[in-house]
Amino acid sequence: MTELFVQQSVNWITLGSIYALLAIGFSLIFGVLNVIHFSHGDVAMTAPFIALALVQALAVALGASGPVWLVLATIAAVIAVGLIGAVLDKVVIRRFREAPAMMALVATVALGIVIRELIRHLYPQGSNPHAFPRLVSGVAFEITGVSVSWFALLVVGLTTLLVALLFVFLRLTPLGLRIRAASEDRVVARMMGIRDGRVFRATFFIASAIGAIAGLLFASYAGVTRFDFGVMAGLLGFSAAVIGGLGSMPGAIAGGLIIAGIEVLAQTFVPDGASYRLVFVFILVIVVLVFRPAGLLGRTIMEKV
Amino acid sequence: MGLSASPAAPGAAAAAAFTILSQLCGAAFLYVLLKADGSWQVMGLLALLGVGFFLLERFPGIGEFITASLTRVPLVTAATAAIIVLGFPFVVGSNTYILHLLIVAQLYAVLALALNFQLGSANIPNFATGASYGIGAYVSALLALNFGMSFWLTLPIAALAATLFGFIIGIPSMRTRDTYLALVTIAFGVVVQQLLNNFDWTGGPNGLVGIPAPSLFGHSFASPLQVFGWKLPSQANFYYLAAALVVVAVVTAQRLHGSRIGLAWNALRADEIAAKAQGINVAWYKVLAFAVDAFLAAFAGTIYAFYVSYISPDNFTFLVSVTIMTMVIVGGMDNIFGVIVGAFLLTILPEKLRAFSDYRLLFFGVVVIGFLMIRPQGLFPQRLRQYGVHR
Amino acid sequence: MSALLRVENVTMRFGGLVALNDVTFSVKKGSVLAVIGPNGAGKSTLFNVVTGVYKPTAGRMTFDGADITSKPSYEVVRRGIARTFQSSRLFSDLSVLDNVIIGMHTRTKTGVLDALFRPGASRREMAACVEKAEALLQAGSGDLYEQRNRPAGTLAQADRRRLEIARALASQPKLILLDEPSVGMDDKETDALVADIKRLRSGHPELSVILIEHDMRVVGAFPEHVMCIDYGSRIAEGSFETVRANPRVQEAYLGKAAAHA
Repeated sequence: MTELFVQQSVNWITLGSIYALLAIGFSLIFGVLNVIHFSHGDVAMTAPFIALALVQALAVALGASGPVWLVLATIAAVIAVGLIGAVLDKVVIRRFREAPAMMALVATVALGIVIRELIRHLYPQGSNPHAFPRLVSGVAFEITGVSVSWFALLVVGLTTLLVALLFVFLRLTPLGLRIRAASEDRVVARMMGIRDGRVFRATFFIASAIGAIAGLLFASYAGVTRFDFGVMAGLLGFSAAVIGGLGSMPGAIAGGLIIAGIEVLAQTFVPDGASYRLVFVFILVIVVLVFRPAGLLGRTIMEKV
Repeated sequence: MGLSASPAAPGAAAAAAFTILSQLCGAAFLYVLLKADGSWQVMGLLALLGVGFFLLERFPGIGEFITASLTRVPLVTAATAAIIVLGFPFVVGSNTYILHLLIVAQLYAVLALALNFQLGSANIPNFATGASYGIGAYVSALLALNFGMSFWLTLPIAALAATLFGFIIGIPSMRTRDTYLALVTIAFGVVVQQLLNNFDWTGGPNGLVGIPAPSLFGHSFASPLQVFGWKLPSQANFYYLAAALVVVAVVTAQRLHGSRIGLAWNALRADEIAAKAQGINVAWYKVLAFAVDAFLAAFAGTIYAFYVSYISPDNFTFLVSVTIMTMVIVGGMDNIFGVIVGAFLLTILPEKLRAFSDYRLLFFGVVVIGFLMIRPQGLFPQRLRQYGVHR
Repeated sequence: MSALLRVENVTMRFGGLVALNDVTFSVKKGSVLAVIGPNGAGKSTLFNVVTGVYKPTAGRMTFDGADITSKPSYEVVRRGIARTFQSSRLFSDLSVLDNVIIGMHTRTKTGVLDALFRPGASRREMAACVEKAEALLQAGSGDLYEQRNRPAGTLAQADRRRLEIARALASQPKLILLDEPSVGMDDKETDALVADIKRLRSGHPELSVILIEHDMRVVGAFPEHVMCIDYGSRIAEGSFETVRANPRVQEAYLGKAAAHA
């Protein structure tokens, strides 16, 4: 029993960290632009494909292969996806900032379709699943007979590090402060002379790069990646952000852990739970929103009459 | 009164002639589009359509003149439309592919009209119309397969079941709004689709097979339709059935739009707090919009199930709901005619772009994004209500 | 004459903020109560509590003999309280006429089934509404009637305020709450507004009015019953003369130093 418990706890925290990273992107973008970037999951899931393509390109060009090159390729992919996010913001998403929420939602759903289809067409045999290597392998240590992998430690460590870095960035650097100001009150921020364009670009770069890391970790966790993983990644990340309370960083982390927790619980304790896991997750989403309409840690905004 | 309406208000005879002519032109365009083969023809027709909309945008007088004519002689308008709809299969002849496209387009028109009550009239997001559509299809199919119930009996039962579902998804709308409500509806949609995919009694991912064709007065819808010595393929049965449903949906939409209910929905779209101050029970009207949407969507689902005789969870995914939303937005929110045009265009165009078959979804996505950027108000924007034009 | 609206010891708290503190007053049938007070004193909150937008933290309100404490807005409107908003909240993408017709929501009764299966009755109801709405638009000052088919969002500021009043009257209220109706009006328009309210009262002697105002000329036109609110509390009540002479009122408006100078 303890074995199962420890095993599932490790699973839970690993998966929860990945969801939390996805949710942070949704929350950050919503906080600053007040737009739901529904294709964020799809943007994130381009990262494994870019990394794979780079690894293969490197192998062909330099004859190089091995873990060092894999790490370099993933870092390049993270930066590339950050840039993709910034470009998407400029070309598409920013234009829906002042539009009704529904327009932005539908437009970014369509954008998600476009991104998925582009992966499918541009990547060789993009319709098929592609194996994705473990970024690190091996067992780190054992507790109560359960082996904890280096990979699990990497996921948790990287997530903690990123959250800490983001926290420091948002609180201590001038650009971070401007992002926070913009997310607190856009009109005031504009009056104070914060140039929206740069703030938006930076927000998108950061959110997409963090999403890319989540995407790489997810592909590595699953051992495989597919062009349409972005749909579920997006839905789960979005749900985590909303459950936690859009715009709230601690909320996004809590939301990610809660959703992963439900998934793991369903798989462990409910017969045939694996196939019903999404049902449980989304019923939880409904229940949370009915009782806490602004999410668990979100601020309830009372409209001024 | 008459003078204030429009400087270009046509006389009755001119209006009648123009009404008949413009509707025939529309029908001819649809026919050519359906017949078009090869990407160049389709592209040419699209360009023609683009020019048409450009002219409408550039010279708003044209649009006003058309609507003035159509509303000036409502009987002629209705009669012409009826003749065109009834006669279309005879012109199409034995081309079952075109009939199939028309049936699907009409069902989507009903779904888009259903969603329009919410999205267009009341601006409430609903990403679960696909789920209501699926519930309608599954309930009726299960009743027919397990209890041998006739199509005509399953139709109202499926609609009631879906309406109940509509009320249930509507309840969270009393407490959540905008983005949060959108997620609630997405969640409901995913839950329904996943359950259909997992239950044994719904056939799991394989769905339900062998749904019997309906029959009316001893005439099976699976057999060809004989009218005055003309023989139409069996699809014509479903074409007329779907057309009847479109008529029901249009009449429902018009009657609700023209009543205090439509006004109440519009009020809560414009300003929820001001709507409350006018004594509108905002929560009830929101739930009502969900219920009406689900009710009509279930009709479409039932006809779909009996038409294709095979349904699976893949027919009722999140993407289907998004497509329906796109039809409403592209056609024009809260504009009945626009919504129907949106449904037809977005059903027929992707089919016609078979030349790019593999790039269809990509094309769809790009078009939707471009459209939302260039013309967010839709092809036919909503119009102000006019009262007492004939006084 | 008996009190139409009675507000007893109403308190409204938002978290730590006390927006209304133990406010008590009543309004007689057919009378006008003018509510004055500095910005942020809680005047609009008072309207929001009376109309059921907010539920009061404590206290009781009765209207026309019935308890309306914590009743939902639609119930309050149905019983006969109508209001306007400080920042006029019109249905801007609907026509002027439709705005007024929506004001009649509680006085009409077509349901979904009626609309679908008895279209004649529904159409007759709407036709009657159109007629009434046109009459209401003709009654006030300005040329709203001529602009009835325009989207409400395109109206000039003074017309927007007039339309809000017409929309509120459409619900056939016994009590109408006007939240700073003269905002954005010039002197001439303000005079026309005062004349409108006076004409309205002579046409409907039973109608009561609560008026939030900053423009003392408007308050001076209805001097019988004035109440001053500051920091959520009622600090003075009586005729315009007595309220104006009250040192606490002067303090609230001019600041301590000036009042004691």
